[in-house]
Amino acid sequence: MATQTAQATARTGGAVGHLQVEDRIWLLRAMLLMRGIEERAMTLYRQGKVPGSFYDGFGQEAVSAGAAFAMAAEDRLCILHRDLAAHIVRGVTPARIFAQYMGRETGITAGRDGNVHFGDYRVGCVGMVSMLPDMMLVATGMAMAFKIRGEQRCALTWFGDGSTSRGDFHEAMNWAGVQRLPVIFVLENNQYAYSTPLDKQFAVDPVERAAGYGLVGVTVDGNDAEAMFEATHDARERALAGDGPTMIEAVTMRMHGHAAHDDMKYVPKELVEEWRKRDPIEQQEARLREIGVDVDALRAEVTEEINAAAQEALQAPMPDPAKATEGVFCEGEAEPLRDGQAPWSGFSGAAG
Amino acid sequence: MAPLTYLQAISAALRDELRDDERVLIMGEDIGAFGGAFKVTDGFVSEFGPERVMDTPLAESGIIGTAVGAAVVGMRPVCEMQFSDFISCGFDQLVNVAGKMHYRQGLAVPITVRLPSGGGFSGGPFHSQNPEGWFMHAPGIKIVAPSTAEDAKGLLHTAIRDPNPVCYMEHKHLYRRIKGEVPEGVFETPLTARVARSGSDLVVIAYGAMVHTALEATEDLEGASIEVLDLRSLVPLDEDAILDSVARCSKVVIVDEANATCAAGAQVAALIAQRGFEDLDGPVVRVATPDVPIPFSPPLEQAVLPSVDRIREACHELLEY
Amino acid sequence: MSSSSTETASVVDVTMPQMGVSVAEGTVVAWRVEVGDRIEADQTICEISTDKIDTEVPAPVSGVVTEIVVPVETTVAVGEVLARVGVGEGAETARAPEPPDGAPSTPSSAPSKSSSAPSKSEAGPSGPSTSRPEGAPSNGDGQVDAVSEPTPAPQAAPRADGARDGRRYSPVVQRIAAEHGIDLSAVPGTGRGGRVRKQDVLAFIESGSGGSTVEEPPLHIESPYRPEPVSAPPAGAAAAAVPTGELSRMRRQIGEHMKRSLETAATCTTWIETDMSRVESARKSLGATALAFVARATIAALREHPDLNAWLDGESYTRHHAIHLGIAVSLGEKGLIVPVIHDAHELSVEGLAARIKDLARRARDGGLTPDEVRGGTFTITNPGQFGSIMATPIINQPQVGILDLEAVVKRPVVVADAEGNDSIAIRPMTILGLSWDHRALDGAIAAQFLASVKRHLEGWTGA
Repeated sequence: MATQTAQATARTGGAVGHLQVEDRIWLLRAMLLMRGIEERAMTLYRQGKVPGSFYDGFGQEAVSAGAAFAMAAEDRLCILHRDLAAHIVRGVTPARIFAQYMGRETGITAGRDGNVHFGDYRVGCVGMVSMLPDMMLVATGMAMAFKIRGEQRCALTWFGDGSTSRGDFHEAMNWAGVQRLPVIFVLENNQYAYSTPLDKQFAVDPVERAAGYGLVGVTVDGNDAEAMFEATHDARERALAGDGPTMIEAVTMRMHGHAAHDDMKYVPKELVEEWRKRDPIEQQEARLREIGVDVDALRAEVTEEINAAAQEALQAPMPDPAKATEGVFCEGEAEPLRDGQAPWSGFSGAAG
Repeated sequence: MAPLTYLQAISAALRDELRDDERVLIMGEDIGAFGGAFKVTDGFVSEFGPERVMDTPLAESGIIGTAVGAAVVGMRPVCEMQFSDFISCGFDQLVNVAGKMHYRQGLAVPITVRLPSGGGFSGGPFHSQNPEGWFMHAPGIKIVAPSTAEDAKGLLHTAIRDPNPVCYMEHKHLYRRIKGEVPEGVFETPLTARVARSGSDLVVIAYGAMVHTALEATEDLEGASIEVLDLRSLVPLDEDAILDSVARCSKVVIVDEANATCAAGAQVAALIAQRGFEDLDGPVVRVATPDVPIPFSPPLEQAVLPSVDRIREACHELLEY
Repeated sequence: MSSSSTETASVVDVTMPQMGVSVAEGTVVAWRVEVGDRIEADQTICEISTDKIDTEVPAPVSGVVTEIVVPVETTVAVGEVLARVGVGEGAETARAPEPPDGAPSTPSSAPSKSSSAPSKSEAGPSGPSTSRPEGAPSNGDGQVDAVSEPTPAPQAAPRADGARDGRRYSPVVQRIAAEHGIDLSAVPGTGRGGRVRKQDVLAFIESGSGGSTVEEPPLHIESPYRPEPVSAPPAGAAAAAVPTGELSRMRRQIGEHMKRSLETAATCTTWIETDMSRVESARKSLGATALAFVARATIAALREHPDLNAWLDGESYTRHHAIHLGIAVSLGEKGLIVPVIHDAHELSVEGLAARIKDLARRARDGGLTPDEVRGGTFTITNPGQFGSIMATPIINQPQVGILDLEAVVKRPVVVADAEGNDSIAIRPMTILGLSWDHRALDGAIAAQFLASVKRHLEGWTGA
């Protein structure tokens, strides 16, 4: 399979590809926050503070951090359950994420939905549903609207290897292809769908099917945050130029079980070990240390931020049961999604 | 005012909306170049262009899912299922994505789903259904069902302007058989029931095509004064109007063209049993299609759909009680 | 947690976590700490095993382990306390706290729904049976099967309370009967099998017969010249012994008001007969009572004769333009009250009917506001369901008139056709009585007013 991995260009003050140093630090920060929040939340889960189930994206942080980083404020995202870094890039605070996991009033859904089934519409994110990959069609629809209105914007969604087996995958790929829509489909191929390995999921790797739908398909090292960024950036350019949708297959590994209650005994230990050596955070830290960034200070900063956020969330109240039946219908005007944060230096025009 | 057929009223509403609001987008199979399976959108594409009158791929889940996406970025999609029966292919997107979104995420989904429904012309099991019961049961989805040309226009305006997902049940059998005076311009019909004929001895509660069957059945029934209540809106259900009719008439016959079990009429009956108990002078009677797929051959189909005779007989029995 | 040197330590529970939505219990596999160990938050306290996964339980706080509750190899439910950790000063010696006073407060249960079942007891024989009659179906063991639907009682079976028929009555029939104090065994039924239908009990009420114990055929002439008085008293007022001693406050207040009225006003009463045929047929289609129609006709007549819509208070005489119509409502044994329909002139018959119904209900429930019993400019009283035909009502001070509507009774009357030929017809007739204050007006005005009311009722076309 053709692989397009970002190559580090000649060091110009540490900038590489389209990324300035502060961007590369941002990527690490987003991944550290994602991992730190998820580890802390897992502890809270075992302490009985997080009801229901708990999902994390341990070992996959680069897939969401890198791709989300390439999205502009006016772009729109459908974020899935192992993509916490995307929320962070768009500007959702750790305290609200903890509150969301714990079902508190101050969580993004105020206790209406759990774990990572959230999307803050105020920063342009749509909350996922459990039926996968329904959100591919929603992202397709957003792109469709952008095209009809002639806007220079795109939509992006993540989805997993397992969900490519469902009908909505096909309908979305087909629709996006036939209408040549500015949508980016990020396939997180993390080798397992719950306990189902790839060889029980499909006969042909989905990225190879992309051309069959009229899409460009690329495969990227999903553990390289900067490569993810570049691939998504390219896909975005393609979309805005009117050249249609892209499927980016991000190859990675799900390092924890499907959820907190799954110990993934079905995954061969050697596979896990091999991927351990390719941890996305360690990769990025190594790169930044090489150019003299104080990674440990960043880590300490992130840890402190997470502790404070967890404390804040633990103080937050539970939702009022009297309100349980409110909000089924919108009573006023329908408000569309709003713009989110877009920290890449290229968006503020400061990129060299 | 002009007399329009039920179908013309629907077309007029769509046209007015497309002209009035650039956010409105209509999408469905064969609705553009072909003008729609029933010609509702005949001529639209030349006035509004193929982007706003969109011929979609054959993909119901896709139609509803992309409509949700377009809606949350500021458009007002009106999607069409060519036959209401095919909504089952888009069930997941409608119930799980559209219906639950506002409750979970505070994000409104202003889509309208037009559903040409109902039988009576040998459409067979896959072109004759009345699936509204499935969606009354799903939180977050409104449902309207006009029976007159005027309401066909007014309720479609209301549906399109509502910030929530709305299923619009347009009855195929009424398309060209019903004509009525329809006010010009945009007007919104409220989501309430309508007394089609006022009476005092018994009330027949119905919606859609069954309103006309009920009116015909009870026009001249042994001199009895029979009220016919047209529900018009299934979600929200006009409970006050239902209970008011029951309070005045004390005898109720509820008609469903949909399959009996868990049809809209079952919910109406439960409401009356619980909150109208003290006003009842007889059991709550239902006339509905039995729980069978709608058969194709005319004698079979006529035997299952509620007829004028079946409604007359039910009223007669209850009046005597 | 603030700590002062005098504060005793508090204790935190470590509980069995829920590792997955469907997991309900877990087993302690190994303890990593002992009582007395000092531990840090998030440090592993023990290892557990569940259906889905084996894992470790981290400590929720830093402190000292004060108690190990669940031993190794023991399975407990999710949420059960596994161990306790003392926090704060003196934690080493802290012991498990006493159980909190009383049980943890349970969420207050929703207030029980007020019963909406109509009162059945006064109406005579029981309503539709929802309880199983004797001899419910049982299986071979002699146990009674759970029955989810009411077992229909056989139609003619004698009932335990000794009533003479096995008739059942629908909810609306029972409700109407209770509201009017009707003994349903006296009501002829024209429904299937002789069932009493809603129109039967309504017709019974309108015909003015109440409490008769003889089953009469429909469409008979009710002569006012009955030899016997009405036999059974209305069921609702049945013999509750009046306690000897003082009258209730309400009774005294009513008495004061009535006495004062008679002493102040120069009270006269005038009557007029009215043919209610048109009203009766209009009533059926609108579903309203005769009172609502009389109210509407009264309002129209007050417009024509505004002298009657006035207050006379000592020397001060005020004619009102707006019509605030008081409607006397009986509260049974307790007395009566007169809620006021403000701006009644703005209401149609249907509107009046609805307001009357609402005010009467709230009057009986004690739910009227002070404003709703003040400010009336004219009053109507309607005690006619017991069969009385005329009365001399007392004026509601400081008003100058009160209209009394008694029973509507079928009578033989003389009618003339277009050529002036007389014949006898059967018409529902009523006698409207007006008590009026001779200080404010004369008999001629009173008579004219009554004639107007009569004219509006007899000429009813649906306005």
